[in-house]
Amino acid sequence: MLLAGGQGSRLYVLTENTAKPAVPFGGKYRIIDFSLSNCVNSGIDTVGILTQYQPLELNDYIGNGQPWDLNRNFGGAHVLPPYTKTSNNEWYKGTANAIYQNIPFIERYQPEYVVILSGDHIYKMDYSKMLQFHKEKGAECTIAVITVDPEDATRMGIMSTDENNAITDFEEKPAHPKSNQASMGVYIFTWEVLKQYLIEDEADPNSENDFGKNVIPAFLRDGRRAFAYPFDGYWKDVGTLGSLWDANMDLLDPNDPLDMRNPRFKVYSRNYASPSTLLAPGSKVSNSFVAEGCRIEGTVENSVLYTGCVVEAGASVSGAVVMPNTVVKRDSKVHYAIVGEGCTIESGVTIGLRPEERGEEAWGISVIGHGKTIPTGTVIKPKEIV
Amino acid sequence: MNMTGIIFSEMCNDNLNAFTLDRNMAAIPFGGRYRLVDFPLSNMVNSGITNVAVVAKQHYHSLMDHLSKSQEWDLNRKNGGLLILPPFVNGSFSQTHRGKLDDLRNALIYLEDADTPYVLLADAHVIYNLDYRLVLQSHIDSGCDITLAATCQTEATQEPYGIVMEAGDDLRATSFAVDTQAAPGAYTGMGVCIMSREKLIQVVRDYTARGSYDLYRDFVQAQFNQGNLSINVYHFQDVVLHIRNAEEYIANNLSLTQPEIASALFRTDAPIYTRVHDEVPAYYGMDCDVSGCIIADGCIIEGSAQHCVISRGVRIGKGAVVKDCIIMQGSVVGEGAVLEHVVVDKWATISAGTELKGAPNSPVIIRKGATV
Repeated sequence: MLLAGGQGSRLYVLTENTAKPAVPFGGKYRIIDFSLSNCVNSGIDTVGILTQYQPLELNDYIGNGQPWDLNRNFGGAHVLPPYTKTSNNEWYKGTANAIYQNIPFIERYQPEYVVILSGDHIYKMDYSKMLQFHKEKGAECTIAVITVDPEDATRMGIMSTDENNAITDFEEKPAHPKSNQASMGVYIFTWEVLKQYLIEDEADPNSENDFGKNVIPAFLRDGRRAFAYPFDGYWKDVGTLGSLWDANMDLLDPNDPLDMRNPRFKVYSRNYASPSTLLAPGSKVSNSFVAEGCRIEGTVENSVLYTGCVVEAGASVSGAVVMPNTVVKRDSKVHYAIVGEGCTIESGVTIGLRPEERGEEAWGISVIGHGKTIPTGTVIKPKEIV
Repeated sequence: MNMTGIIFSEMCNDNLNAFTLDRNMAAIPFGGRYRLVDFPLSNMVNSGITNVAVVAKQHYHSLMDHLSKSQEWDLNRKNGGLLILPPFVNGSFSQTHRGKLDDLRNALIYLEDADTPYVLLADAHVIYNLDYRLVLQSHIDSGCDITLAATCQTEATQEPYGIVMEAGDDLRATSFAVDTQAAPGAYTGMGVCIMSREKLIQVVRDYTARGSYDLYRDFVQAQFNQGNLSINVYHFQDVVLHIRNAEEYIANNLSLTQPEIASALFRTDAPIYTRVHDEVPAYYGMDCDVSGCIIADGCIIEGSAQHCVISRGVRIGKGAVVKDCIIMQGSVVGEGAVLEHVVVDKWATISAGTELKGAPNSPVIIRKGATV
């Protein structure tokens, strides 16, 4: 069950008209591709995708699930929006309530275990290994954890465990973290047990119907068998503009921390028919990730260019994340920026600054929302959001 | 839709034998991520044709593998869709496949079953982006027996064309020749032919019964010369690339690095579809130097490349220099290797430091899977 209804409000203009899981990432992907591909690569053939905020683009993107091999006769991909019922009509009130409202969907497949995921993290993980761990421990709830820096721990769900990985304590965004083991938002539950807790949680009028705040604490309070599954691969919550930019730049790391090129664990995505990228005579591209369908005549360095972008002669793009089908016209400069999908940067525009050019004023990445046209000669300062 | 499409997959196999030892013509890689068959097939899909058969004769493993995901072309249909017609032998008719009439004899059951008034024939070795509905409209408006799409030659040609016609301003053919050179002003066929389905079935029956096998020579030319057949010429005025031999294959493949040719073939309103491989985007290294190239997904380019077509998943090592080359899927060019006028077929390895130099008219060709 993939929770994909989040607004991702800290991505500002990038999630104005689209849910966070549908935000483009890494040249040709959208954020949700990572958890969806993880499911498929882990042998999961039935995935419910829970949508709520701005679902149009996401629904369209997932379609019948074919790009992820989830167009199945039995199971497959199912988009699950909230729906009206005879007694009460409501939106998904929280993560636990979203699953509660879809108990009938889960029951159709009579699973022994349910994996609860969020569709807004960038990582590659084989959930079948985690399930193996869940079974070996005889667990009723297993939470994947990753080691984080102490300063990040205050923003996350923090777990304390005994020497046997059993969870002894769980705190959501603690002011004084007791450990550096943070929840990745990946849970495996034994379904019969979870169902019972979801029903109880729903009956409690004081509950916020949230896994981290209510359901997991209830499991621990009752002494249920809850374990932490340590994960040591790459994992990033791309919930802020800064972390989204960072995660894109991580793709340029020659050590490939995300293991993108593993042919046995591919990240699948919906592909649009675009030709190979054309690097025209006179173009200069270095240390960059460039998807198909681009035409580059100018200079591109330390950047991630998504499908179908155009960089005209004399234009220069550096340290930038340029999302699909954006055109950077003649002699424009895009430095340290995220430029949304389908933008037109007219000629002679300057977006952002190189780090070495900055003066006394505040410096950071500039962000242009989807579909914007930036008129000739405009100067967009570092940190400005358009 | 009122047309059924038939694609002939191996018209020039023998002239391209460096690339057709273990695949047929239609499955030859082209443009970094495509195979030749993608072009006529996508044109058909973009023209609203949902009933397409691809005629195969030999070495069609690659072709079947490529076309097996018919959803990429939106041809996974309950009604119609994509069909590969491999050769078969039955009691009264053993296949020899000497020409298009033989191929169509093999496709007779398919043609009889089709529910459209017209049939469109296309070749896999001619590359263009054309809405066949325009050709059909021209055919219907002309009232002629058949319509052939053609381009008008501006200068005399050395290489013979399969069909060479002359026509006046009304675009009715006044002469028709096969396998010959074209003079300036002549119309050269693109392998695109539209005629009524019933008429085609009748022609295939009559002519194969008499031992004829060449559609254009034995039927069209013979009947035209006797004054029994009217030919409408559909004058196509955009980019057409003929691939009749290895030199043309290489030159036309490299011509895609010219933006005006690429934009004529790859149009957003009429995309060319192909099988998806889910490769990651290409990575360009710190010191790479690439210009005048087309590069597909999955590549890691750390050396220098000028005027090349580089397919999916190719690696060009540090310090390597690749010029005027075609590097096919999954091949590796080792560090410091120097390649000029080389065609590297799929999954080959060029060891570090190797130097290979061909000439424009005689390229070095490295076989699929070879290690140099």
